[in-house]
Order: sequence, then structure tokens, then C-alpha cells
Amino acid sequence: MPAVQDTIDRVRKIDVDQYKYGFQTEIAMDKAPKGLSEDIIRFISAKKDEPSWMLEWRLGAYRRWLTLEEPTWARVHYPKIDFQDLYYYAAPKSTPGPTSLSDVDPELLKVYEKLGIPLREQEILAGVQKTDASELEEPSDNVYKSGRVAVDAVFDSVSVVTTFKKELAQAGVIFCSISEAIREHPELVQKYLGSVVPTSDNFYATLNSAVFTDGSFVFVPKGVRCPMELSTYFRMNEKNTGQFERTLIIAEEGAYVSYLEGCTAPQRDENQLHAAVVELVALDDAEIKYSTVQNWYPGDAEGKGGIYNFVTKRGDCRGDRSKISWTQVETGSAITWKYPSCILRGDDSSGEFYSIAVSNGYQQVDSGTKMIHLGKNTSSRIISKGIAAGFSQNTYRGQVSAHRKATNARNFTNCDSLLIGDQCGAHTVPYMEAKNSTAQFEHEATTSKISEDQKFYVMQRGIPEEEAIALIVNGFVKDVIQQLPMEFAVEAQKLIGISLEGSVG
Amino acid sequence: MNMHSIPQRTQAETALIDAFGERLSLLPGDGAVTLKRDDAIEAIKHGLPTRRLESWHYTDLRRLLTSVPAFDSTAATKALPPIVEGSAILAVLNGVSGAKFPAIEGVTVQRLSEKLTDGSIAPGLDPYGSDDAIGALNTAFVADGYFVDIADGAQLEKPIELQNLQAGGQVHVRFPVRVGAGAKAAIVERQAGEGAALGSSVSQVVLGEGAEVTWLIVQEQPETATHLAQFKAHLGKNSKLTVFFMNAGGKLVRQEIVVRTTGEGADFKLRGINLLAGDTHTDVTMVLDHAVPHTTSTEVIRNVVTGKARGVFQGRINVHQYAQKTNAKMACNTLLLSDDGEFSTKPELEIFADDVICGHGATVTEIDHNHLFYLMARGIDEKSARGLLVKAFVAEVIEELDDEAIVEALETRLDDWFVAHG
Repeated sequence: MPAVQDTIDRVRKIDVDQYKYGFQTEIAMDKAPKGLSEDIIRFISAKKDEPSWMLEWRLGAYRRWLTLEEPTWARVHYPKIDFQDLYYYAAPKSTPGPTSLSDVDPELLKVYEKLGIPLREQEILAGVQKTDASELEEPSDNVYKSGRVAVDAVFDSVSVVTTFKKELAQAGVIFCSISEAIREHPELVQKYLGSVVPTSDNFYATLNSAVFTDGSFVFVPKGVRCPMELSTYFRMNEKNTGQFERTLIIAEEGAYVSYLEGCTAPQRDENQLHAAVVELVALDDAEIKYSTVQNWYPGDAEGKGGIYNFVTKRGDCRGDRSKISWTQVETGSAITWKYPSCILRGDDSSGEFYSIAVSNGYQQVDSGTKMIHLGKNTSSRIISKGIAAGFSQNTYRGQVSAHRKATNARNFTNCDSLLIGDQCGAHTVPYMEAKNSTAQFEHEATTSKISEDQKFYVMQRGIPEEEAIALIVNGFVKDVIQQLPMEFAVEAQKLIGISLEGSVG
Repeated sequence: MNMHSIPQRTQAETALIDAFGERLSLLPGDGAVTLKRDDAIEAIKHGLPTRRLESWHYTDLRRLLTSVPAFDSTAATKALPPIVEGSAILAVLNGVSGAKFPAIEGVTVQRLSEKLTDGSIAPGLDPYGSDDAIGALNTAFVADGYFVDIADGAQLEKPIELQNLQAGGQVHVRFPVRVGAGAKAAIVERQAGEGAALGSSVSQVVLGEGAEVTWLIVQEQPETATHLAQFKAHLGKNSKLTVFFMNAGGKLVRQEIVVRTTGEGADFKLRGINLLAGDTHTDVTMVLDHAVPHTTSTEVIRNVVTGKARGVFQGRINVHQYAQKTNAKMACNTLLLSDDGEFSTKPELEIFADDVICGHGATVTEIDHNHLFYLMARGIDEKSARGLLVKAFVAEVIEELDDEAIVEALETRLDDWFVAHG
């Protein structure tokens, strides 16, 4: 059934205005002057107490960036961004490197309390406040108990707190902010930073390389299975700031790590810029699972405000039999431009991409993945579910390629789109490039609306229409939800419910 | 890197622009046509398309078009026997239409050079977009072809075969065809020749209400020719168009298929085979616009790649906002038979209406080893077994056509290709 006027009105009324995380917090901030120049980069580098090689790296990227032009190929439209009208550094004043929660500004803690996720619930944070001694005494059999998550929280430009550090250190895992890693583990950072996403990669990645302010660093040494889920929580608070975080995850031979990422921002009329870079490196037999629940402010019902989310995420399956898996639930941001990719370099390596992208209001999503098969017997799997409602545009853009030497490369791609209302658009743009005769690629895509039969079947059992649709939509995205760690799966399901509420007819 | 600087012209670009200066006075056309030609050459002066242009992503014409042959008015060739016996032949021999052609009941035929001279064809000469390099090239240089008008209600018993046969040099032809309401026709478009030519060919078909057309494109250029072709169609209310193409030749080939449903109830079918061998590049690009409600389309493309051949299929289905109840399905299957061959696919869906069913599927694979084993276990040698499987893979598409004479004729050509390249 096509959307009737009634539905459209309802979409207008409800949709994006329901954003729950739109509050703003008054915290004294330490900001760099507006604009971007070599001086600002020197300022950021000095603030972070960085070694000179890091500053040179940033300046190199900045000079490169000056020669680049903004890409225009994506199916998104927005007014030109004035890169000189942004703050590139903003940090809560009262936190010069907190070591425990008691050092953290109570206002800041309130923010996380309000957000609920994934510092969910103070019990986890309480785990930090309890002296570390008690945890050290407990032997590691406790370590595998589920439900514990180590969290790195990033507030505008700096990481404010990292939990469970001691326990992780016991297992040999390094989990800290990237600024700290640059100071404490320069050899690792120097070896891996920019090795997956080089400074010259693309316009936004290059900008990020020049001005990134914080992010997470994870190093899981040889043979270690990280004892708990790691998580970073990003929050953009300050007005007119750009958030440029950089995450680097390294899993050495045989290591395993699961990492979750969540994001929110206050409700503002202006657009805010978020340009992150995430690099994953998996060596022989290593596995990295990276999950994102992205819920940046999507703008109001008229499409005013919201986050511009221009993100470069790439995983390098460098070792044989390594595996990288991306799972994303995208419900926020005014504009999403994001293609988490896998470079399948090692023989027998595999890559996975599971995505749900929900767009409503005037949101524009252009997201997908790249699977680059270079090694022998590599395999990849792509499951993408796009749901468009309101006046939104939802695009899947993906590339699968097998190079000359990628004998027996295998790919399976499935991207389905669901349209709710007749003012939105769903688009599928897959690129398949086979240069090896033993490659086997399969791609399928469908676009449809919720069928009347399905709806009738559910409603006939006494379930009201809205719930029936939510049920069907959740069934539609089930393949992806199942890939999320438990804590996020529940949250993702709720988020999808909220994003679509009122948009069904 | 500065993208705004005007790149230095390639040899081919310079040759085309120079050729235009030399040819213009010899080309037929009134003032209106000349204006269109001037606009078209201006577009070419901005440079041939590169892979930066999304619709040319896999065919960097600027890089691939290395040389442009001069016009050769002395080269001659002869019409070929038709693919389906008894067809009415309208041949363009090295860019020149014949003054005499068979009379076909219910059909009016006119040489295109006459339509250019009197300017009546001028409105149809516009390229369909800024990235339409083939349209621009053809508009600038087109000298001849045929205009075919099939009267309302005419039921043609035998196909009309349009032959575009090149003998070297440059050949630019155009075939505008109007099919009247309720008319039924089969048309064969034959693209062949024997020289190292650069050719462009544009077919434009308008289907009236309830018209039914089967259009066959058989492209068998020599491995020395550059062949840039375009097929454009508008589908009226309740009309049915089946396009079948077979690409089995050419050094650099681009076949564009641009179709738009303009009347409710229209149905479009595309079936195609790309048989690619040698060191060649073949690109089939389709853009299908479902512009009105209640229209349907299915597309099935099968590709066989051997040698060092590179193949491309881009297929975009646009469903406009008001085109509710659209039903569109597209499939592209490829068999890669050699290590040096490659194939790239980009099946796109752009959907702005919600009450639609659209899907596409694409696969790339080698011959199934189980199938091969099955046949070989029955005493068939590997080469024959492979041949059987490959033929079965593409023949499936041909067998869907209703007309037995056409099916038989195409299967013969398929066999010929396998003998030469199998």
C-alpha cells in the first residue's frame, strides 16, 4: 500500500524530533581558536604532548589536504562546508588526564548517566571506582563472565576515561586513548598508524590525519583472546566543533577482540562535522569484530541541523586466515558517508559486513563496503538492509573486486531495501570486478515495501498495525541484528523502533 | 593535482575536431542540423569521457580511443545475406544508404541523408545527457542511415534487416524508427564490416500504443574496429519491446541501451549475450527509466569471457516517484573462462516510488566442476564438455525468443563463434 497523506503527515510530526540525546551540557571547555592552519595543528600536537614525528606526520597530511578537493560522487547534497569556521580542538577543562572517575567532572558523568549507553549503568563505572586490587585478586576465570564491557569515553576532542585498564593489562591487552598510546607506545603507533588508511587516502581521511584529536587504541598481543568487549563512546557536545577521532586496533597472531562503538550529539540548528578514521590490522589467524551503533543527531523535521558523518573505516586482513567483521546500525546523522572495508590480503582470510541503515526525515545515507580480494582462497560476505522513510535518501554503494592472484575468491552480497512512504528513495550501486577466472561472486538486491499479505497475516492475530510493521521490519533486519553483541542488539532494535515510529501507514 | 585545468587534448580528440572542420561542408543538413552539429562538437572539445565520469567508469574512452582513422570515401562493401531468410534488407554501405530499397507493405522508408538535408530530423539529434559522448559524436558526424515509419496496425510478417556495414575509415549512421499504434514488427540491426573503422550508430525507436516490436542487435565487427552504438526507445501505452543483443566482435565496443516507459502498461524485455575473446574491450550500458505507473521490465545478460578480453555491464533502473506498481528485474551472469579475462558489473537501482518490486542479481564464476565431471564421466572429452556447458549457459537466453527462425539463426552464429574461439 502506498503511503497515504495521513502517513506523510505523521512522519512529519514525529520522526526525527524524537531524538533523545539532544541535550547539551555546560562544561567549561578549553578550545583552540577557530579555523585550520599549520599553527592550529602545532597547537593540537603541543596540547597532546606529542613527539615530533607525530607533528611532522600531521603537517604532512595537512599539506597534502590543501591539494585535495571534496569528493562529490556520493548521492548526498549539502551546502559547502567552511573548514575555517570550525573549532578543531575542544576539551573539557577540568580533566587533565583523569586517572579515576572521582577526578572526572560530575557534569560529565551526568552526561553519560543521561545517555545510558554503553557506560550503561554505573555499575560498570563502579567497577573502576572500586579499587583495582579487588579485581586483581580474582583469578581470571571470572574474566570470561559476560556482561562486562571496558569503555573508553571520548568527549569532543579528548578521551575522558578508560575503564578496566588494569584487568586488561593483566591479559596483555593495551586499551587506551590514542593520545596516550602515542606517548606510551610510540613504536606500535608508528608501525601501524596510517598503514591501512594512508594520509593521502581521501579528502576526509587526510583532514583527519592532520587534526585528529583523540580516539581509541587497542593492541591485543599474540595468542590473546581479549577477556571482555571493548567499547568507545563518542559524544560531540561543543558548538561548531568538528570531531575527528582516530581509532587503531591491532590484533596480533591468533588474537581476538570484539569492539563496540556508539555515538550521540546534542540537538543544534547548525550542522556539525564528524570525520573519523578507523584502522584495523589483523595478523595471522587473528579476528576483529567491530560493531557500531551510530546515533548522531539527525537534524530536525525540516532537515535543519544534524551531523555530517564522513567516515573512513578500513580493515586490513594482513595475515593468513585472519578475519575482520564489520557490523553497523546507522540511524542517526543528517548525512552519512561511510564505507567500512576489508582488504583481504592474507591467504584464506575473510571479511564480513553487516549493515542496517535506517533513514527518516531529511536524512541522507550513502553507505556500503568494499571487499578487495588480494590473497588466495579469500571470502567475503555482505548483508545490507536499508530502510528509507519520510523524505530520506538511502543508498547502498559497494565494491567487490578480485585481483589477478586472488584464486578462488568468493563473495556473497545481499542488499535489500525497504521503502516506507513515497517521498523517500532507495538506491543500490554495487560494483563487481572480477579479474580471476576462479573467482565466484554472487550479488542480489531487492527493493520493496512491506507486503500487504505479511501485514494482514500479523494483524489478523490481533497485533495492532504499528506493532505489526515493527515486527516485520525487525524480521527484515534480523540477519544483521544477530551479528551484534548482546548489549547492542537490544539497543539497536529499540533504535530502529524509535527511528521509524510514526512513519508507517 | 588540479581537476579544473583543461587537459591537453589527446591525439584522438584532436583528430576528431580536425575531421569535423574538414567534413562539415560535405555533411548533409540544413541550418538547424548544422547548429546541432556545432553543439555536439563543442561537447567533444571538452574532452572524451574518462572513468571519472560515472557512466563511463569502466570504459575510459579518452584513454582507450588511441587513434581515429580518416574518412575513406573510396572503400566499398556489399550487402550481406540476411540473418533470417526473406527479410527486407536496408543496407548502409560504408556510411552511405542505397538509393533503391525494397518496398515493404505498411512501411515508409526514407534515406536519412534526405531527412538531414530538409532538417526534419533535427529535433531528434540532441544527445540525451552531458555524458552522452556517443550521441554527440554521432550528431556531429552522422551522414546517412534510414528513417523507417511503420504504419498504425501494420503486421509485418518478415523482419526488416538494417545493415550497417563498414569498410574502414569513419562511419556514422542513424536509424530513427517509428512504430505506429497496434503495429507488430521484428527488426534486425546488423553491425559488421571488415575494416579498422571508427563507427557510431544510433537507433531511435518510438513505440505507439499497443505496438509490439522485437529488435535484434547482432554485432560482429572485426577485431580491429571501434564500435560505439546506442539504442534508444520510448515505450507508449501497453506497448511491448523485446531487445536482444549479441556482441561477438570488435576491438573497442560500447553498446548503450537507453529506454524509457512513457505509457502505462508498457513492457520491456532485454536479453543479451556478450561473447568476448582476444584482446578486446566490450561495454554494455543500460539506462532504463520507469517514468509512469504500472510498467514492467526484465533484463537477462549472459557473458562469456575468454582470452584477454575485458567485459563490462552497467545497468541502471530508475523508478520515478510517480511510477508506482513498477515491476523490474535484472540479472547479469558471467562465465570467466581464462585467467587473463576480466568482467566488471555495476547493476544499479534508483528508486523513488514505494509500491514497487525491483531486484537485481549478478554473478561471476567459472564453469562448475561438478557439471564438468558429470559430462566427462559419460565419456565426453573435456573440451567438448566445456563447449556444451558454455553453449547451454548462453543458449538459454536465445531460446526465450518466440520466433523460431530467429532462434535458429542465432544458434548458428553461436556455434560459429565457439568453433572460432572455443
